[in-house]
Amino acid sequence: MSSSQILKGILEGCLLSIISKGETYGYEMMEKLNSYGFSMVSEGSIYPLLLRMKKEGLVTTSQKELPSGGPKRKYYSLTDKGRDELSEFKERWSDIANSVNKLLGEEG
Amino acid sequence: MKISKDSREFLENLRLYLFSSGKNGKEIEEIIGELEDHLFEAEKNGKNVEDIIGKTPKEYMEQIANEMSIDIKGLLKYIPIIVIGAFSYILLGDAIRGELEYSVFEMVGYPFIFLFSLLLTSVLFKYVASNKISKIKEWFMFGVMGSTPLVLFIALIFLDRFYHTPAIQLGVVGKVIAIILPILVFVGIAIWSKTWVSIVLPIILFFPEFILDRTDLVESTKLTVSGIIVPVCFVAYALIVMKIEKNKEKKLTEQ
Repeated sequence: MSSSQILKGILEGCLLSIISKGETYGYEMMEKLNSYGFSMVSEGSIYPLLLRMKKEGLVTTSQKELPSGGPKRKYYSLTDKGRDELSEFKERWSDIANSVNKLLGEEG
Repeated sequence: MKISKDSREFLENLRLYLFSSGKNGKEIEEIIGELEDHLFEAEKNGKNVEDIIGKTPKEYMEQIANEMSIDIKGLLKYIPIIVIGAFSYILLGDAIRGELEYSVFEMVGYPFIFLFSLLLTSVLFKYVASNKISKIKEWFMFGVMGSTPLVLFIALIFLDRFYHTPAIQLGVVGKVIAIILPILVFVGIAIWSKTWVSIVLPIILFFPEFILDRTDLVESTKLTVSGIIVPVCFVAYALIVMKIEKNKEKKLTEQ
């Protein structure tokens, strides 16, 4: 697995978590990621991921009119399958994080 | 939404790329709209299209395309219509000229040329959309795209004269069918696509020839007259369509 693939898996889990906190759209997700310090991902890279997540049935989308008028904006929300995937990701991640932290802690 | 020229160009290229990759039209518009929304917000915050896509346009387009499935149903709808439309055009032209004789060679060659040209167009469109190339190179590519079928047709005609294969000649009933069937196809396509193109184009291309053939003019005069009338009508029609489209756009933005 290349480093970008690991990052993709993590990014997918993070997106699931962001969407689980309430309906949101692409730019807002990116802002949230940035506010947590995810500067290593280019903004556009969330869209191929979102496409895949939708294809896998983890999220659904709906087009909503903006309050300011103008074109519609695409909002994402989590499906039941998406929620299951998120809790699985949380477990997997805490296992990995624990192991890596333990290992690195012993090293130092 | 007002976005920069670079962003607009990127989105147009992405649309062309996805379309040439045989993706679903509605899904294409969805992802384009979403990216447009993102680029608009990002540009307000001083970022540009390169910051957003991160890699080369080609890599990013590939990534998007990989997550979208090929729209087989859509392709099955469009390709036969293009092929049937093109055949109707050839058939009607031949019927008007009274040259309704087809060799086996031609009957195999025509579909082959069409499918090959479609494939070539799709490959070249994708290349032009995803690579930064000079305008000259771009025009050269489009030139290749446009002239390949023409060159292949000429090659087919010469080969056909050289190697004689069995031919089918249409009788009187065949001739009537060869005129009525293409007309029905053109009308059908016009209704299906809700545009007049498939009716207007054959009229522009065939009608002058049809009328001139029934006059006593010298052959060279006929050629000159149709050589002037056809392009003039063509340009006039293109201008009218452009004007109608512009008015439509105006109405849309005014709403």
